[in-house]
Amino acid sequence: MSGIQEDDDLVFHKICSLIEPLNEKSVKLSRETDLIADLEIDSVSVLDIVMDIEDNYDISIPVNTISEIKTIGELVDAIHAIKKEQS
Amino acid sequence: MSLFDKFQSTAVQYKALVEGVGRDPFAVSMDEMKGPTRAMVKGKEIVLAGTNNYLGLTFHDDAVAAARKALEQSGTGTTGSRFANGTYAAHRQLEIDLAKFLGYAYCVVFSTGYQANLGAISALVAPPHDVILIDADCHACIYDGCQLSGAETIRFRHNDPESLEKRLSRLSDDVNGKLVCIEGMYSMFGDTAPVKECIEVAHKHGAHVLLDEAHSFGVFGENGRGVCEADGVRDQVDFYTGTFSKSLASIGGFVASNHPELEYLRFSSRPYMFTASPSPANIAAASAALARISTDNTMRERLWENAKRVHAAFTQLGFEICAPAGPVIAVKLADRQAACKAWDFLMEKGVYVNLAIPPGTPNATSILRLSVSAAHTNDDLDAIIGAYTSLSEVLTKEAAQA
Repeated sequence: MSGIQEDDDLVFHKICSLIEPLNEKSVKLSRETDLIADLEIDSVSVLDIVMDIEDNYDISIPVNTISEIKTIGELVDAIHAIKKEQS
Repeated sequence: MSLFDKFQSTAVQYKALVEGVGRDPFAVSMDEMKGPTRAMVKGKEIVLAGTNNYLGLTFHDDAVAAARKALEQSGTGTTGSRFANGTYAAHRQLEIDLAKFLGYAYCVVFSTGYQANLGAISALVAPPHDVILIDADCHACIYDGCQLSGAETIRFRHNDPESLEKRLSRLSDDVNGKLVCIEGMYSMFGDTAPVKECIEVAHKHGAHVLLDEAHSFGVFGENGRGVCEADGVRDQVDFYTGTFSKSLASIGGFVASNHPELEYLRFSSRPYMFTASPSPANIAAASAALARISTDNTMRERLWENAKRVHAAFTQLGFEICAPAGPVIAVKLADRQAACKAWDFLMEKGVYVNLAIPPGTPNATSILRLSVSAAHTNDDLDAIIGAYTSLSEVLTKEAAQA
């Protein structure tokens, strides 16, 4: 397993742990899970989850970026991109 | 996918909520106004406790007379924008009077408070090198202003200067302008911002501060200039935004500042340039209300007396209240359905408050939002407290049965 893959899994699991309390229908989470369509999390709650992620990784994720994110996988990728940019 | 599919899930949720109680909390029609705190709704007189009419001036003799005079002298509407034919002497005079009252050099009047924030933010900040930092609980018009600007927007934790500082520190060196947006009092919970601390942090990092005092103008501070006056930092605010539709008892909005560049908004702010200006009657009513606020502290005193009385009564009843005593008293309920049922119960008892549910509320809470008015009479307050007392009894009984 490459370093990137491990890091990817860590970020994915971190996001899942933050989403789980809002996963009322116990949907099985994957990279393809759509935050709003599949999990029915409202847009403001998505922003709040991202706030936790920001503090966890010490990065800032602009609202503009978040509004374009639909799936957990896209969120993972955005975090990687921003971590790289802001490090 | 059809054009309308996107509404489906919300429409289903909305329908379920309304059908659950048999009355639509978001479509109440005030059939006849009986004064600033009473209206007829479906043949029944209701006490209004969800209005933002904090100083209760909507029926004040001066405001009504001034509006009537302006209507007769200047007509029903301006039929044009501030930028074109919609600036009358009264619009300019109100800008001068507001600037003077608040102690700033410049002021620009917009057609609504929503447009004041939309217009200020979208004109001041531009991509790709400017960044906006907003308190997470900022009003929709601030979010929309950010979106209209197209600039990078970063949220910080509500009322948390440390969280703001962290985000300012992370910004890269190629960022040019930084604008921090906060509100004096947040409208849903009625909690106030640590304005002084936020300004200190912002200025330390070379950022400008836009402070929205829509709900706190006329209400907080020794002279009613808002939370920034109460915090002793009024002169450090870069852009002070406000509305006429709360304490000023009309409709319209404004931005005030000591920066001469504020004047540039007049030819760069789309929400200023491309919409009709407030009607003469609206301007006259706001001017009369401002004159009243400038010379008479008794309304503010009465408002705070009323607020403290209601807050103390609700605390006594054991309600979970979202903020210390103030003009907005929000009570937390278990969830959407519980809040909706409680809202309907209060309507049945003759009291109108605002039902507020996610995503329109912070932290996904469901609340009953009550706004106190200086115009609330002791009878009004008795009715409000009486209705909440009955509600508390019902909730206690239900909890015991559960």
